[in-house]
Amino acid sequence: MLFNRSLPAPARPSSITTLDGSDSEYVDNYKYLGVWLDCKLSFQTHIKHLQSKIKSRISFLFCNKASFTYAAKHTLVKLTPSITVPSVLSPKPHILPTTACQSEQHLGQYYTVPPSHFHTVFPHGLPPRYQQQVKTFNEGCVMVRQPALELISHLKRADYSKPTLRYLLYGVKGSGKTMSLCHTVHYCSTQGWLVLHIPDAHLWVKNCKELLPSSYHASRFDQPIQASNWLRNFRTTNEHFLSKIKLRQRYVWTKRESTEEGRPLGELVDMGVSRVKSSSDVVGAVLKELRLQAGGTEGGFRLAVAVDGVNGLWGRTTLKKEDKSPVAPEELTLVHNLRKMINNDWCGGAVIATLSQTGSLYAPSSAYLPQELLGEEGFDSMDPFVPVPVSLYSEKEFESCYLYYLDRHWLQHPHSQTEEGKKELIFLSNRNPSVLERLCAFL
Amino acid sequence: MAASLTGLLKPWTPRVLLVRWSRYNPYYLEPGPRKEVYHIPETELTPEQKEERELKSVRPIKAATNSVTSSVFNDPVLSKFVNMMMKDGDKIIAKGIITQTLENMKRKQVEKYHKAPEGKKAEIECNPYAIFHQALENCKPVIGLTSIQKGGKFYQVPIPLTDNRRRFLAMKWMITECRDNKHRRTLMYEKLSQELLAAFSKEGNVVKRKHELHKMAESNRAYAHYRWW
Repeated sequence: MLFNRSLPAPARPSSITTLDGSDSEYVDNYKYLGVWLDCKLSFQTHIKHLQSKIKSRISFLFCNKASFTYAAKHTLVKLTPSITVPSVLSPKPHILPTTACQSEQHLGQYYTVPPSHFHTVFPHGLPPRYQQQVKTFNEGCVMVRQPALELISHLKRADYSKPTLRYLLYGVKGSGKTMSLCHTVHYCSTQGWLVLHIPDAHLWVKNCKELLPSSYHASRFDQPIQASNWLRNFRTTNEHFLSKIKLRQRYVWTKRESTEEGRPLGELVDMGVSRVKSSSDVVGAVLKELRLQAGGTEGGFRLAVAVDGVNGLWGRTTLKKEDKSPVAPEELTLVHNLRKMINNDWCGGAVIATLSQTGSLYAPSSAYLPQELLGEEGFDSMDPFVPVPVSLYSEKEFESCYLYYLDRHWLQHPHSQTEEGKKELIFLSNRNPSVLERLCAFL
Repeated sequence: MAASLTGLLKPWTPRVLLVRWSRYNPYYLEPGPRKEVYHIPETELTPEQKEERELKSVRPIKAATNSVTSSVFNDPVLSKFVNMMMKDGDKIIAKGIITQTLENMKRKQVEKYHKAPEGKKAEIECNPYAIFHQALENCKPVIGLTSIQKGGKFYQVPIPLTDNRRRFLAMKWMITECRDNKHRRTLMYEKLSQELLAAFSKEGNVVKRKHELHKMAESNRAYAHYRWW
């Protein structure tokens, strides 16, 4: 055997004679003192032998996978041969691979979002019942599902020098559109993108206590409270980008206040949060700057615009002007600027949107398709888009969810842990994720 | 004219006849909603069960009420509690409050469970149904008082209580305590969950009220012989 770390493997020598005159055998791998050695002096051969030994020992466990709890299944799947070398050697307990390396084999399994990410990536945007669940279970687990994986694979393979692609998640009520959106936002965040997350566009078209006439444009209306809240959350999500991005234009707010060219974006955002009166215009300025700079080659970042309930931007509002006439959505500064963002006339990012009937205004409760919820105007603006349907739980996903609740001690009723109870849960919920969650809450 | 007069003399019968609250002939049998009873094959039945089945094939059966289901999650004690909480026949609201209470109790306990160290985990009860039943048990009085007139005066005399009466008193005290003695702005499910969790650990106002009743009965022991049944 010839050991050599850096140079390529030499040609096999014809023969090596030993002192005794007999030929010695030339081998590539040799087992010596319990360890398999190879020419490159790496542990690859040793690990391969270990893996095959383990596989032969636990093969019977694989056959009986279905009878184990969620935690045991989780560990079993970890030991499949496709897992890369380091994880077999690492002493710390396994966590599901990060969002970057999730693939079809992980469908139906839960991955844990690190607790630090909750405050930075999701100050707003998670469904309220999910936030309660995170607080109760003391951890945040998200199920890996087909729509989110599809979105992530599109995002990985898209060409960011071309105009932005719009992705639209649609499905019946409670099928998991917002959670898929949050999963994708988490992926974008871990990949270092700048995330513009609007938790619910419907919040900007209803229940506004203060509607100020806009100083910038005579016929438009400002919403100071909503805008400043959003800016505060935006600041929490994207701290590290705020100092790096410089403004390309001078903005004048009042006779005495203006923000100069070349100042960092963070200053603009801070100004919007403190000066509530001009916060809507600040939002418009921020969106414009990000749109211009997203695809840039020097210091270019990728921009993800995630809008939940995008059908609220077209349609009707419940807001009224002082003479009791209704306000159209385009007369609101925030909505006007957001519509410009969703247009595909910029490059270097992606727009991921969700339809939502839950908070929508004047939409029938059975409507869930893009044509029905967006209306003509909305569909024409969003067209062309990539539709991503979100379906109810499949059998495998339902199993996974049921086992997860059992593991977290959430299903407490003695009958809910039997087969009869499980059949009843399937019947009552029709495998709808939110209905199942509400049922299991009191069982 | 004769036709209209005879129309007025017709006996009036209502269009919709209420079946359940009318007095059933004792001949009618109670409905049995549990599925397991019917899955037992012929060979494994005891003689009483065989007799019951024979009877059911001959006799008519009463209509089942709306609140009774064949679901495995059906709980008669909980249904009784829901009925007692109901106001103006609005069972949807009452059932909603109870489910929110159960969820709230479970959330508090599961949160405590996940934050507790390994040794303490086994002591924390997370099942809201177990907590509810145990809390109700802890609130049931053992002995009650009744007003008996003797020689022109009324005396509070200690008497034994039936099971139904004890359960009724426990539920009634729980509901009135939550409705009257709590802060105005807290919602009912929050008040109920706090009171039930306190009663589970034998603290709280309802358990105190039970103890006071016991003390009154103890102090009025001398009048026990006024009871003649």
